Amino acid sequence: MTDNLKIAFIGNPNCGKTTLFNAYTGANLKTANWPGVTVEKKEGRFVFNQKNIFVTDLPGTYSLSSYTLEERLSRKYIIDEEADVIIDVVDASALERNLYLALQLIELRKPLVIALNMMDVVEERGMRINISKLSEMLGVKVIPVCARKRKGLDELMENVFEVFEKRDESREFNNLCFTYSDYIESKISEIVKRFETKYPYTKNHRWYAIKFLEHDDEVKKEYIINLDDIVEKNYEDEIIKQKYDFAENISHKVLINKTEKNLLTDKIDLAVTNQFFAIPIFFCIMTFIFFLTFFVGDYLKGYIEEGITIFSDCLLILLQKINCGEFVSSLIIDGIIAGVGGIITFLPNIFILFIGLAFLEDSGYMSRAAYAMDGIMSKIGLSGRAFIPMLLGFGCTVPAIMASRTLENSRDRLKTILITPFMSCSARLPIYLIISEIFFGDYAVFAAISMYIIGILMAVLVALILNKFKLFKEHSDLLIELPEYKIPNLRTVFIYAWEKVKDYLTKAGTTIFVASVILWFLLNFNINGFSGGMENSFAAEISKILIPVMTPLGLGNWQIITALISGIAAKEVVVSSMSILFNIANISSFEGRGKLYTALSEIGFSNINAYSFMLFSLLYIPCAATIGIIKKETGSFKWVCISLFLQFITAWSVSFLFYTVAVNI
Amino acid sequence: MNLIDGEKGFIYKVKSINLDERVKRRFEILGMIKDTDILILNKKRNGSIIIKLRGTRFAIGKKFAEGVEIGGVSD
Repeated sequence: MTDNLKIAFIGNPNCGKTTLFNAYTGANLKTANWPGVTVEKKEGRFVFNQKNIFVTDLPGTYSLSSYTLEERLSRKYIIDEEADVIIDVVDASALERNLYLALQLIELRKPLVIALNMMDVVEERGMRINISKLSEMLGVKVIPVCARKRKGLDELMENVFEVFEKRDESREFNNLCFTYSDYIESKISEIVKRFETKYPYTKNHRWYAIKFLEHDDEVKKEYIINLDDIVEKNYEDEIIKQKYDFAENISHKVLINKTEKNLLTDKIDLAVTNQFFAIPIFFCIMTFIFFLTFFVGDYLKGYIEEGITIFSDCLLILLQKINCGEFVSSLIIDGIIAGVGGIITFLPNIFILFIGLAFLEDSGYMSRAAYAMDGIMSKIGLSGRAFIPMLLGFGCTVPAIMASRTLENSRDRLKTILITPFMSCSARLPIYLIISEIFFGDYAVFAAISMYIIGILMAVLVALILNKFKLFKEHSDLLIELPEYKIPNLRTVFIYAWEKVKDYLTKAGTTIFVASVILWFLLNFNINGFSGGMENSFAAEISKILIPVMTPLGLGNWQIITALISGIAAKEVVVSSMSILFNIANISSFEGRGKLYTALSEIGFSNINAYSFMLFSLLYIPCAATIGIIKKETGSFKWVCISLFLQFITAWSVSFLFYTVAVNI
Repeated sequence: MNLIDGEKGFIYKVKSINLDERVKRRFEILGMIKDTDILILNKKRNGSIIIKLRGTRFAIGKKFAEGVEIGGVSD
């Protein structure tokens, strides 16, 4: 009996795989990327019957062909036997389609258990599934589970162990749950014979034979063998059809009371995807999310501010007591606490925004938004599907750019990558909240929301300009699954939002911490050592070079320029660096805001400059992490440079236009 | 006739998919193969439609809807 077991979850998109994964691991998971690519890899660990179980959540995929990166990654993972047992999560409410992937997995002949999820949905529809019959027909264990209600979890794991213990038996057992037509089978036998001779040590020759018949690029590349006389054409059409015929046959035999009732989803969709109401409904939902982000978030923010003030005061007393000197206490209080603390206060706003986005994703609404926006998106030369990364861009640009991977066409992907940074991410939110509260009083929320709208408009405008180039003329069409609506699973939503907040906190502890320390040094030192005044510091000298460029925007001031430059490390740093620049301990508190207002007024900053500053912050060069992900996704410095140039020019032009018009009115 | 010409609320049978090979394969993997039933759930003026295929709803853009040949209407 082993003490450790490695399992992997695989399944169609929207099959409840992530909910099942979360049900086992809770928040105890690690998100990373698959080596060398930007597809997210989730790993977790839990203990079952005193054994350590390591779980990997493979990307959601409809098949194991080698068309998409996700399919290739999952397939390679399974073939290389990186997991001891594979769990195929099957959505019982869409059995036929889910069985297609299951049949492909069975053909791989690895230790496999099927977790039949969403049994509650099936029961609600008044249907039943004959599970023992299904298991018998497929030749694998089928365990009913309900991930959302955490039912059947232990039973599934017990069976996983059983399959693992008997893995050698099942591998030896020549389990063919279904065979293709005689014609295809004769082709398979012929290929197997030839393949066995050339590659006798490769396991599961039958699977490779099927892949040769499907003209699978990956397999053909890896195994050089002449099969032209047997595989005279691509048989993939035929193989898919025969698999689906079998899936249909199974579904007919195991589904009891198969009905097509007018489901709740259809009723909701009547309104939500209605050609007149779809877009207004979408805007109402987004307005509601932003209302919660701004109003409820601000209310909660007050408590955190108080906490930070108390912490900062106590620390100051402590530092004075231990006599650590002005230098160290300035670094800690004016550098680190001002920088990092200023950012932490925005946690509630950011948490709420991510909860909102998680609700949209988990409820099944996100793909409806893609459909609703398809008409508008096609006018800017993209499919409605590209709207999802853009929408996620309100949260954080990095995962949003990663989400553009779901677009099949590389040109669509590139265009989406170029316009997504214009969508205002949550890191820019602190800038708007602080500046608009100081300068726009009662209209602060409108000033902040206008940034989101301008961000969208700029993304649209840039997309329209890109359309003029030959490269971006044609775009791929929409094809997206609209899953059943469901009440979002609180656990899933919370884990999603917590993951993002954790990232935000980690950023506060790492990037923002380091940036604050560096900035503090740059602001307090010059070539002669401790400068004694920021005016003569390194930071001031560097920023002063850019004054002529920024003066036409009303931003020709070295402090403002320093804040913007340091914002390239992470956008939150714009706020934290202002705390350091103007020596304000708790910038988002009432007193802190008052101090900032006075300091900005002293350098001649009016509300026109303030709005121009917000515009520039919205549109200028993205943060270092975004630049990194653009490089990784596009794989070329050329596109990184184009993206940076595009953003800087847009930011400069919009701020310039606004400032020029506003001061002349 | 093509999918784009179908009427809301009716079930059709897929005759052929006349799209780029890769796109065609994507549709096939989702279960859209010859003789499969397709129910049209919704249609927008811009041509994008929502269909139900083997119990799952999919939103399909205009160009794709033009490339799927259907026949055999039944309500």
